[in-house]
Amino acid sequence: MKKLSFLFLLTFFTILFTGCQNDEADFPSSDNPTVAVSTTEIYGAPNRKFEIKATLADDLGLKNVRIQIPELDLDKVINFATDPLLTSYNLSYFFEVPADRGVSEAFVIKLTITDVSGNSVDQNINLRLDGEFSTPAINMITPKEGAVVLLSSSNQLPVNFVVNDDSGIDYVQVKCAALGIDETVQLTGAPQSYTFNKTYTLPVTAASYVLSITARDKFKIPNTGTLNINVVATNEYPAIYLCDQPKGTNLTTDAAGVPMYFHEKTGQDFEFKYYADSNNKEIYFLGQEADFAPHCFGLNGSGNLVDNVTASPIVLPTKGYYKIKVNPSTLAYTVTKYTPTSKVWADVANGVWNDTEALRKPFVSVCGEGVKDSNWDTWNAWVQTGLHLVNNPDNPYQLVGEVTLTGSSVKITFTGQWWNPQWRLIKNGIATMSPGENGNGAYSAAAGVYKVILDTELERAFITKK
Amino acid sequence: MKYKFIGLLIAVLCSAATFAQITVKGTVKDKSAVPIPGVNVFVKGTQTSVSTDFDGKYVIVVPNKEAQLEFSFMGFVTQTIKVDQRTVVDVVLSDNNQTLDEVVVVGYATVKKKDVTSSIASVKGKELQTMTVGNVTESLQGKVAGVQITGAGGPGAQPRVLIRGISTVNLSTDPLYVVDGIPMGTSINFLSNNEIESMDVLKDASASAIYGSRASNGVILITTKKGKAGKTKFTVDMSTGYQIMNKPYDMANAENYATILNTAYTNSGYSEYLPNPEQYRGKTTDWWGAGIDRTSSVTNASIGVSGGSEKNTYAISLNYYNSDSFYDIGGWKRVTARIANDFKFTDKFSAGVTLNPRYETWGSPSNWADFVKIDPITPIYKPADQLNGTENEYSIYARSPSYVWNPIAAVKRYDDYTDLYNLNSNAYLQYEPIKGLIIRTQGSVEFGNKVWNKFSPDFVIDAAHEKAEINSVERKATTNVDWTWQSTATYSRKFAEKHNVSLMGGVTMENYDSSDVWGYGEGVPNNSESMREVSAATKNRNSSGTSWSSSLMSYISRLSYNFDSKYYLTASFRRDGSSKFMAENKWANFPAASASWRISNEDFMANASSLVNNLTFRAGWGRVGNQNLPSSVYQSNIGQGYYVIDGNVVDTSYPSTMANKDIRWEIVEDINFGLDFGLWKNKISGTLEYYQKTTKDMLFVKQFPTYSGFPSYATIWTNVGSMRSNGIDLLLSYKDKKGDFSYGADLTFTTVNVKMVSLSTDGEKLYGSSNRTLTVQGEEPGYFYGYVADGLFQNQTELNSHTDEHGTKMQPYAQVGDVRFKDVNGDGKLDDKDRTKIGSPWADYNVGLNLNFAYKNFDLVANFYSSIGNDLVNQNISDLYNGASLTNKVSGLDQMAWHGEGTSNYIPRLSKDDNNENFTKFSSLYVEDGSFVRMKNLQLGYSLYNKFGFDKLRISLSGQNLWTWTKYSGVDPEVGGGVLGSGFGGWNYPVQPTILMGLNVAF
Repeated sequence: MKKLSFLFLLTFFTILFTGCQNDEADFPSSDNPTVAVSTTEIYGAPNRKFEIKATLADDLGLKNVRIQIPELDLDKVINFATDPLLTSYNLSYFFEVPADRGVSEAFVIKLTITDVSGNSVDQNINLRLDGEFSTPAINMITPKEGAVVLLSSSNQLPVNFVVNDDSGIDYVQVKCAALGIDETVQLTGAPQSYTFNKTYTLPVTAASYVLSITARDKFKIPNTGTLNINVVATNEYPAIYLCDQPKGTNLTTDAAGVPMYFHEKTGQDFEFKYYADSNNKEIYFLGQEADFAPHCFGLNGSGNLVDNVTASPIVLPTKGYYKIKVNPSTLAYTVTKYTPTSKVWADVANGVWNDTEALRKPFVSVCGEGVKDSNWDTWNAWVQTGLHLVNNPDNPYQLVGEVTLTGSSVKITFTGQWWNPQWRLIKNGIATMSPGENGNGAYSAAAGVYKVILDTELERAFITKK
Repeated sequence: MKYKFIGLLIAVLCSAATFAQITVKGTVKDKSAVPIPGVNVFVKGTQTSVSTDFDGKYVIVVPNKEAQLEFSFMGFVTQTIKVDQRTVVDVVLSDNNQTLDEVVVVGYATVKKKDVTSSIASVKGKELQTMTVGNVTESLQGKVAGVQITGAGGPGAQPRVLIRGISTVNLSTDPLYVVDGIPMGTSINFLSNNEIESMDVLKDASASAIYGSRASNGVILITTKKGKAGKTKFTVDMSTGYQIMNKPYDMANAENYATILNTAYTNSGYSEYLPNPEQYRGKTTDWWGAGIDRTSSVTNASIGVSGGSEKNTYAISLNYYNSDSFYDIGGWKRVTARIANDFKFTDKFSAGVTLNPRYETWGSPSNWADFVKIDPITPIYKPADQLNGTENEYSIYARSPSYVWNPIAAVKRYDDYTDLYNLNSNAYLQYEPIKGLIIRTQGSVEFGNKVWNKFSPDFVIDAAHEKAEINSVERKATTNVDWTWQSTATYSRKFAEKHNVSLMGGVTMENYDSSDVWGYGEGVPNNSESMREVSAATKNRNSSGTSWSSSLMSYISRLSYNFDSKYYLTASFRRDGSSKFMAENKWANFPAASASWRISNEDFMANASSLVNNLTFRAGWGRVGNQNLPSSVYQSNIGQGYYVIDGNVVDTSYPSTMANKDIRWEIVEDINFGLDFGLWKNKISGTLEYYQKTTKDMLFVKQFPTYSGFPSYATIWTNVGSMRSNGIDLLLSYKDKKGDFSYGADLTFTTVNVKMVSLSTDGEKLYGSSNRTLTVQGEEPGYFYGYVADGLFQNQTELNSHTDEHGTKMQPYAQVGDVRFKDVNGDGKLDDKDRTKIGSPWADYNVGLNLNFAYKNFDLVANFYSSIGNDLVNQNISDLYNGASLTNKVSGLDQMAWHGEGTSNYIPRLSKDDNNENFTKFSSLYVEDGSFVRMKNLQLGYSLYNKFGFDKLRISLSGQNLWTWTKYSGVDPEVGGGVLGSGFGGWNYPVQPTILMGLNVAF
């Protein structure tokens, strides 16, 4: 009986110890881990990320680090691999302060570092929300991005911009290696606003330049902002744009098509096809895409074409399609109305997807990226009825619709079932019908709802903010 | 009593009128001295027969004292007794406990069950007829170990039948059905269960290799009822009842719907979608009640007559099956007749012919989910102020803002039906020139014509969203003419007392020709019934037509040998030539061999004979094929495309598929080990088997590499990859009898483990079902592949901690209450690489339990079937819980969904935008335990014998699919699908509970 009892106890304790053993590897005792923070005071701001930086180390191996700011709902544990053991770690953790916190608030960030032996140490860091992080605002007056300097008129490049910053401006820098410009303006008294205005002389040979403008503020942790401006100096216009917007309109809010890129170019003879959607439509020709200045072609008091930002518009008398030719060198232009003969894509609103070709009816929708609900699948383009274009009741050659752009790079092909029909939006707002040019153009535009006009006669797309 | 008296009177009168006739009477009992009612008493050589009454008594007139009486009854050993001088012949029938003398069909032959050396399971037609089903395989569910059957709801739906799992990824997994020796393809919908005498399932390759290139998914041999010599017997079998359609979800009423959507909108920063929800109180539209019938009728009826003499037997049956849909229209009707005649001209020469005409018609709407999903505020019909009196009858319905098309209107428009006309004829001649040598030739011809008609009326419910401005009409007629011819010679002989040999050789030919023609048109002048013809179309007429054919020629042989009924050996060989393959690979060989050792017949087992009645060990190997690929893979095909060039649509051509002259059969080799046993006078019996199947040269459709110059959409069939499956089948039976009470139970147990051994290239990933399943080497095929949903973010702290080591949010658009997806690979990013195995559609095991009880005149049958360990994807979760769409949601979703810490860890917060992709990311949120136990059938019967002028009268009450246990929250846990897309449950037509009354009469 004793033997039985002994065997029973032996079995019992064997099971007990087997069942209770810790699956985790045992580590020998070691020294406490160490932590070295880059600063004990961090500046943050509501709705902005700040960085927690520290160097963690342990003689045996780190197990984890815990970052806590209870008031801001942060309780993050970063676990480290134990095979092999990690003896040092550079902590770089970003956290965004909620937008509803006040700038006068301050908190304590608690770091708890634990090693594999179970030793742990705490490190506190103060967090203040009264930091200033905005880079100085550089407001470019001239030249605008993509500006064209026509060397035959003048080789002077006026550079004029205004810098603003709440905490004061430390210095302003203008650089362009190709032009040998390297100019730094060190400001005294940390003014909150500064205007730079200087004219540089360009070589008379055609070239492209990049002006780099940098400004730094005077905050405890300085903020530096840089703006690059591309400028083209040329003896001839590389491109001319047709603009039917009133002067003063911001020409950079569209995603594509405004102002309209030319259709044909021979030397300095540019030809446009254009649809005037109303009688007495007013148009200009621009030497650059983003602005009415410096080259805006319109009419002077005598009715002649001039390159002058104060020029009057050319008026197209009646609604309809026009062929317009212009030469910015000779300042000659012609306007001819015409009747299109290209295919009319009628009744696309009643398109039908069908695997059987005979039962199919063309629809036109949007495939692409950077467009909400869109991808590169034509079936998706069919089922996402919100992307479908419909006929413009006023113009059989125009299909219209609406898209929501997400703010990321936009690439679009207007398409029916299985890419038939399709118009691929390549660069410069050109919507080429298959089999036209390859390669969708990438357009940048702010997030939001945009109006879409696909003109099948012009093979152009106009995507403008609604 | 009255009838008994009349019977006696007639018997006496007859005996008086007929000199030398003798009236014999007696009682038939079993070994326990319990009378047996319903025993067939038959005077051999005549057509005279009677049945015993409830007390086991009979009276019969025999021509003379030399007459022999044959007493037969299912489950008992048939006895033949010479009358001699007796006028009273009492009989004690022995239980046919050992069913080993039963005959099993093995393909081009029959053998006694005890002589079977491979894996074959048999089910009697009587067992299949306990259920009222359109497709007999549904009744087979749970009755055969190793056969997994997934039910399918809906009139005419075909269950998925897997025999020992799957052995192919891209081809059909359906077994081959062979009816009365003629291969009939992979569907059995055409057959009434009342026509079936028995089904034999050839499970392993050593059994099925005789069917060669079509046997890799197993073969099911069906024997239909034939006439027996004796008096003419009439039978009427009828069951009729109702299928019940329960609304699968409790959906929100109008007020609750508004509250739910308002919550979703406001949670996403929008203003309320339907302000003041209380205004909708009491204004809920009952779509379900208006369009879905709670019950729909189902009827299965057969009238049969059979009988004959020793020279000629016949069996004629007329069968009718009708299953209405739960809409007010549509369903499935099938009328078949089977006329079988067998002739024995001489002892050496016999023949038979069977005619099987059939008519089917089917079609029903399939939009029942729309009755659940459509919003509950929209009325069924447009309000009067929106009607101007010019609308046609299809345009008076209201449009739902939920984008679900008005389902009542859709049913109203429905006109999509198919009619099938078919005649199958099957005849044989058999000649036995010398004893033991049988020469048989058999041919069959099938003519079929299927006509599909569809009419879509014009209507305008909403000018922008829900309309068809022009009506259209379509008709497609498909005609098939198939024939088979098979001739065999079999020689069987016993020599030296203990050596039994049988040798069979033969040749078979099959040919399948089909063609179709299609016509289409639009603009029929009006929507009236009489105008629904293609000729009435005024616009866009179109037509097409094509034809296709395939053929198969085979040489078959089988050698069977046994020594002293102890040691058995069977070998078979088939050589198939198929039109689907080019010359180099047109022919393939399918050998098989099996052996068994009947241990219980050994002398050393003699002492154990009271315990062990049967003990047999079997082993088999075989090779079979799968040629279920399109008939034209040997062809290179040109596809037709359209491009717009200069504004004009231009026809173009491109290489769509390329011929692979090396294409060959998908080959499956398997080994099988089995143990058959019977204990205690076979009260307990069963079979335990282990098998392993290996598929080689699997058929895949591959794209060409880009450097080949072919477009990416051009494909080619090719033989690559292999897979392996193994498992255990167990059948355990128990039966016993205590006085008037008899009972029995059959338990079937099936396991299947499948793994991909190799794919076309190392590391290849084969995606299926919109990238939601994955198949890779070393894993089971088609497992669910997606993100792991790790509960919901309960508070801001949990949300803030879901970052990488630098604080970058892994789910930047997530808010508290959204799904937390797991960073499976721990790289601090949530991307495609975090998708992992999140479930398996394949069951760990299937169990069937079939119980039967009988007490005096009562009998009770109960069948259970279960699938354990499989997962299912419940695709309806998105429709029911996702606030991003405007469809109706489950009732109380505003409270069920997360609305504060701790309120839910499963249903995410309601959101109009779902920016976190709670529902658009395929994750384990959708995966549920798909295990279930279902009571397939419960039937209570009461039988009367020799009453009211009938030999037998039985009435029964049964319920099918009345009870199901499952944790799956979808519509129905029986979900089929292809290999790479199995287990995706959604708005599939459920297997419905059914209540039935049955009547069986024989006279």
